[in-house]
Parts: sequence; C-alpha cells; structure tokens
Amino acid sequence: MKRFLIAAVGAAALALSAAQAAAFEVGIIAFQMSSETHARVANAAAAAAKAKGWTVTLLNSEGALPKHAEQFDALIAKKVDAIIVAMGKPIEAEAQFKAARDKGVPVVTVMSGASKDTLFDIQVNEYKVGAEAALYLFGQMGYTGNLISQRFEGNVGTRIRGRLLDDVLVENQAVKEIGKHSMARTQSWRDDVRAGMQALLLKNQGQINGVWASFDGQAYIIDDLLKAQGVKRGAIPLVSIDGGEETYRRIADPDSTLLATVMIPFEGMGERAVEAIDSIVVKKQPKESVTSGPYLFQDAVLVDASNVKQFLKK
Amino acid sequence: MGRILERYGTALAGLALIVFFAAAAPNFLNPANLLNIGKETSFLAILALGFMLALIAGELDLSIADVASLAAVACGALVQWGYGPLAGVAAALGVGLAAGLFNGFAVTILHVPSLIATLGLAAIAKGLGFMLTQGVAFVGRWPTEFTGLARGALLGVPNLILWLIAVSALVWLLVGATRTGLHMTAAGEATEAARLAGVKTDRMKRLGLALCGLLAGATAMLLASSLSSAAPGMAGDYFLYAIAAVLLGMTMFDPGRPNAPGTLVAALSLKVLGNGLVLMGAPYYAQDIALGAIIIASVAVSAAALKRAAFKV
Amino acid sequence: MTSAAAAELKQAARTTSAPLVSLRGIGVNYGAVTAVADVDLDLVAGEIVALCGDNGAGKSSLVKVISGAAQPSRGALLIDGEPARFSGPQDALRRGVATIYQELALAPRLAIYQNVFLGAELTRMIGPLRLLDKARMMAEAKAYLARLAVTIDDMRRPVEKLSGGQRQAIAIARALRWNANLVIMDEPTAALGVRETAQVHDLIRRLAQDGRAVLLISHSMPDVAALARRVVIMKHGRKVIDRAVAGLSADDIGHMIASGKDI
Repeated sequence: MKRFLIAAVGAAALALSAAQAAAFEVGIIAFQMSSETHARVANAAAAAAKAKGWTVTLLNSEGALPKHAEQFDALIAKKVDAIIVAMGKPIEAEAQFKAARDKGVPVVTVMSGASKDTLFDIQVNEYKVGAEAALYLFGQMGYTGNLISQRFEGNVGTRIRGRLLDDVLVENQAVKEIGKHSMARTQSWRDDVRAGMQALLLKNQGQINGVWASFDGQAYIIDDLLKAQGVKRGAIPLVSIDGGEETYRRIADPDSTLLATVMIPFEGMGERAVEAIDSIVVKKQPKESVTSGPYLFQDAVLVDASNVKQFLKK
Repeated sequence: MGRILERYGTALAGLALIVFFAAAAPNFLNPANLLNIGKETSFLAILALGFMLALIAGELDLSIADVASLAAVACGALVQWGYGPLAGVAAALGVGLAAGLFNGFAVTILHVPSLIATLGLAAIAKGLGFMLTQGVAFVGRWPTEFTGLARGALLGVPNLILWLIAVSALVWLLVGATRTGLHMTAAGEATEAARLAGVKTDRMKRLGLALCGLLAGATAMLLASSLSSAAPGMAGDYFLYAIAAVLLGMTMFDPGRPNAPGTLVAALSLKVLGNGLVLMGAPYYAQDIALGAIIIASVAVSAAALKRAAFKV
Repeated sequence: MTSAAAAELKQAARTTSAPLVSLRGIGVNYGAVTAVADVDLDLVAGEIVALCGDNGAGKSSLVKVISGAAQPSRGALLIDGEPARFSGPQDALRRGVATIYQELALAPRLAIYQNVFLGAELTRMIGPLRLLDKARMMAEAKAYLARLAVTIDDMRRPVEKLSGGQRQAIAIARALRWNANLVIMDEPTAALGVRETAQVHDLIRRLAQDGRAVLLISHSMPDVAALARRVVIMKHGRKVIDRAVAGLSADDIGHMIASGKDI
C-alpha cells in the first residue's frame, strides 16, 4: 500500500495539471496565501493570465523565506516566460531574483518594494492612502475630540499608515489620541486585536469620538465590539484601509459603525501586472511605455456611504 | 522478493517518482534543476537527521524549526554587527547546541516529557527571535566568506552537497557503527532494559537532543549563508517537512526504525516531489495535501518508535 | 598472601563446592516494617535453588539484596567467602551476580547479538575510530547460545521475532557473557506454553551444568519440583524451610508454602 502512495500522488498531480500546450507561461508566487490580500492579488493575476490563454503556475511560499527562494529556482528551471510576485521579498531572496534576471526571466512584483532585478513594483502610494484615511476620520470628528487607534507595525504599508496618522495628529492638536494598541502576533492576531481594543474601550468609556484601524480586518473586529456595546452608526466613527466585499457590505449597512475605507485595488494590481507583462514581454513594447521608474503606482479610492453602491456586488 | 519490497519499497517508489517527473515534467532533468534539488535537499536532510538522532534516543524534538530560525538570526546579528563570519558560524552552532542541551536537561533532569519540553522551547526560541530582530530581517551586507559556506563549490561540487555528504556520513557512522550509537538506540528502544544492562540512558537521551540542536544550528548557518538573509521564523516551514522525511525514511532500509539512509532518500524524495509538482504546473495546495498524506501513511506503516516517544507522556 | 595465592585458594574453594554467595543474618526493614528477618542462605556452583513463598513473604526484598538493587538493613553478604557490598545491579553484575528481569530483560527491537552484548559491546580500532566489532560479537553470541544447546542462524534477527523460549535463551546467554557465577531468574516460565517451558527447563539445567549457581523465584510448583535441587520457603520475612527437593511432589511443595511447615 505504502509503496503506491507516492506514485499515486504523482499521478494525481498529473491529472490535476491539464495537458499543456506551448502557450505563454507565467509563474505567480504569493508570499503567504493565508493572508487575504496576498491571495487577492495572486488569484486576480492568475485569472487575468488564464483569460489571455496563458499557462499559469500559482505558488504559495507560505510565509517562508527558504520556500520563497526555492519556488523561484523551480520556476526558473521550468523556464517560465515571466514571473509575478505578490508581496514578495526581493531583498531577502536577492540571489534568486538576481538569478531570474541573469537567465532573462522578467519579473514584476506587486507591493514588494523596488529591486534592481525586477522590471518594477506595482504599488499604491501608502503615504497618500494613510493621509486620506486620517483626514476622513478627522473630518467625521469635526477636527476635535479623542480617538483610539489599532495599529500594526509588522508590515511596511500599515506602518506608513500609522506614521501619517501621527503627522495629522501633530497638525491638529484639538484631536487627541487617548489610547493605542499595536498588534503583536501575526497568526492569532484576531484575538490580539479583540483583547487590546476591548481593554481600550473599557478604559476610555464615554470619551471616545473616533477609532482608527490600520487595516480592514482589524476594523471588522472593532465594529463588532462597538455594535455589541450598542454604539449607533456615526456616534463613534470608525475608519480603516484596504477595501473588499465584507468592508463594502459593512459600509452600506446602517447598523455598522464602519464609515469608510480607502480601497486598495488588490485585484487591480494583480491584473495590472499581467497587462504589463503582456505589453512588455509578449508585445515587446519598451518598459518605459508602462512606467519609467521602479514603481508603477495605482490609485486608491476612498469608499464611504456615498459611493459604496458601485463597489457592492449585485 | 517480499523482503526486498519491504526494505526498499518506498525508496523504489521515490525512484519511480524521479522517472515519472523526468518523463512528464518539462526541464526536470536539466542539470541546473537537479543541482537545485540537491541543494534544497541538503537543508532539509541535515535538519531531519538531527530530528532522527533525537528520535533514535526515544525523544521528540519539536523545537527544531524555531531553534534553527533563532540560530539563523543570532548568526545574522553577529555577522551584520561586524563580528565576522567565524563569530556568525559559532553563534549558529552555539545557539543550536545550547537549545539541544536545554532540551536534554528538561527531559532527563526536570523529567518533562520531550513532547512538552521541546514545544515550550520552540515558543521561547520564537519569542527570542522576534526580540532580537523586532521582526525585521537581517539582509544586505553579508561577507562573501560567509555566503561562500553554502554558495561556494569545491571541484565543481556545490558546498551544500558536500556539507550534506559529510553530515550524513558522520551520522550514519555514529548510529550504525559505534557503541555510543548502539546505546542511543537501546536507550530509545527499551530504556529500562538498557539501563539495567548498564547503559547510561539519560546521558544518551541528552546526547541525542544535543546533536539534534547542533544540526538545527548547522542548518540555520547554511540557510542564512545561502539566502544571505536571516529572519525570525525563516525555518518554520521545515518543521513538518523534517518530521515527514524521518517518518518516510522509517519505511525503508530498516523498516520501523529511524535510519540515516532512509531519512536521506526521503528528504530527497520530498524535494523531488515539490520540485516536480511545480514544474508540472500543479496547483500550490497539491504539495500540502501530498505532504500530509505522506506523513500519515508513513506513521501508519511503520512508525512504532514515534508512537512510543509521543505517547509516553 | 599474594594475589595469585588468593586466586588459587578461591579456585580451590569453588571446586570443593564452597558457597559462591552466602547470606548471613540478612534483615531488611522499610521504616517500622520488617520485610526480611535473619535469613541465612548459601548458593553453591552447579546447584539450582528455588525460592518460594506467598506474596509478601519477603522473597522480592531478599532478591533485591542479592541482586544489588537494595542494601540490607542488617547482616552480611559474602561473595566467595568475602564480605561484599553492591552499589547497584551493575556492580553486582560485575561481581558475577546476574539477574534476569522478565519483562525488562531484553530490548525487543535490537538484534540478538546486540542484546547479548548490550552494555558490554566488543569494539575494534579502525584507524583513529573505535567501532563496533559486529562479526566477533555475532560469532561469540552464537557460541554462548551453543553452550545452551540453542541454534539460531541469523544473529541479526530482532529479539521480538523470537519465541518465548528463545528469548529466555538470549537473556541467559547475556548472563554467560557477563561470566555470571550466580544467575537469579524471576518467574522464567510465566506466560510460556508447554513446549517452551520444557525448553526453558533445559536451558536452566544447562546453566547449572555449566557450573553456575541458579536462584529460581517461582510460583510454578511443577517448575520447582522438576528443576530445583533445593527449595527455600519464606513466610512473614523469615526462612522457614530449606531442604532438598528429592522425593517431593509439586503438591507437597505447595502444601509447605501454604502451611510454612515441613512435611
């Protein structure tokens, strides 16, 4: 029985991988599929590439650096025509990115940071995003009162958003941050956020005029906490960043305290990566026709009750 | 014939897997790809050989991956702070060995079952890793003397593969041909009988766990050198793979017992499987499913030793 | 007296069947409880002695003293006529007293030769390395088994694949390997079938013919009647009977154990 196991797994793999024509082949690596935003970028890119009739190999580094590097090696050995990386680590896996460039495999990254070994990195401008979210929240508070914040320092994007909140606070002294909680854990972070915010809400009962969250996942938990305490929409405005179906549903829901988000086009960036490879690698247009610098910035859109309908799925 | 199948069945299945991928996966036989598989196998196999040594002495070390991650960041810290490659090597091996010694102390002197003691140390190691780095990886200026440890080559053979051969040979010799190795095996197989026969069973268990830690440190050193980066949690992914390699290895050569050649062939088979699936364009989750199935099937087939180690809590 | 002369004297003592191991006035207390009181016992080369008694009669406490697992509270232990003190079972083993613990005697998954030599492996130097001398261990293990009239071809077979009788042979071969003069066997035929019990009887007789003293602890009266030359019965911590077995049936011995009186 055991002797056939490996062979059986191999056969299953064969069955899963449909007969492959000599189509254009793209490898897509997501750093950590268990993180929703990584999965959204990678899945959108995979869907867009399949729509073009390309052969797609979608990989998950499971948050592990050695695996990230290995998958790069394997894709290079596979001689794929291009590689797309979602939230990857071009600096930590520098040798593999360099190997791709040496072998002439073009690489486009999404939200991974710039590298000399890639064509460019598709990003939203986190500084802009952070400023927009902070200003919207301050506007809802009438530029006065107390707020509490839920932060996350372990990610460049969310860290920048927090910095922008700090800057806006410095310029608007009538608004005070009377409590902040930084998420420490990355795997059981939901519990961490719930416990931290519950403590802050209890400690500052009756004095809170607004809540800021560094990403939507945190905001869902805070929204549920506030609703459980009977807080009505608008009484304590809650603002966050990322966007997504669940976020839009809450923004449209008259019982939810979540007023707005700054929508980061994760799917859009994945699709944009495929478009860019199509024009540069397939259609052989110069890289400068897409972007001249190391970054290709995408627009983020503020979503609140006034425009949420266009984002909600019918 | 039946005996040959029992001893080499899974090894033959591994061979069949290689033949299968050679025929079906594009570029599998490309020398560069085969070399990549060999290099990737070295990290996994060295870590797995450590886990195997602890298991031979009858103890489970569930801290290997987190200890390796901590050893890597300790190594990265010293190298990045300018203490030189030698200090980095010493830090990696030292952290690994210290962790192994601690596990041995907890198991034989505090009498905490290894399943629990090593799980506890795993959490401590993880915490220390984040304390040392604040979550930010050590990247950038690594001296070539250090990166050469893993990236270099001798007479055309990559250093990683030489490391693997050296470690495997030493482990194989220790377990199969020395009194110490036999005493470790006896301490793991029948602790009371061995003790009554005059074997220093506690010392053998400490030795198994210490060597396991040391090899986790060696793995960390090679990982940091090869990737020229060190991040907390960087070896976390190897945890399940290393255990799977040992368990799968127990289905061959010396069925039912952890053994070095089996571990080696199993580590190679797992890496071949991973590489082949990628080359064939199989979906990313196929690997996880295959890994889980292999672990359960291996234990079902022949991991009595593991069951004993796990359930004597 | 020179040591050579002492050795000669010892050898002389042995051939005149002076006791290998003697107990004089042995007492064992556990706190206020007296487990063994004032026991004298002589064990002679080539003789099989059965130690019997109900549970709690003090057998196992007495055996612990002889095997080195416990220290007596009173009295003396003599080896070849000289007072001895064992620091533990391994010490006793080195002094020629081997105890075969039934359930714990062997490492089931190790090979036959590994079990025979466990804790006392043979090695040889290969260059700078001290490695196991497997060929010699296998040959010698085979020879020890041959002395017990047991033939097993493959010394690499794991012990768990052997029959109960064969396993006893391995345990006894190990005692031979340690050159034990006194072999203590605790219920050697428990859990064995009829044929295997007969095999083990053979083994024990051969051990005695080989010039060893055997102390047999057994609840099996047929074993005692068939094997032992002498039976020692304990009751309430005291030795109440010490006599030859010749002429006694299994039932007679059972009766003596129950009553504590000679018939």
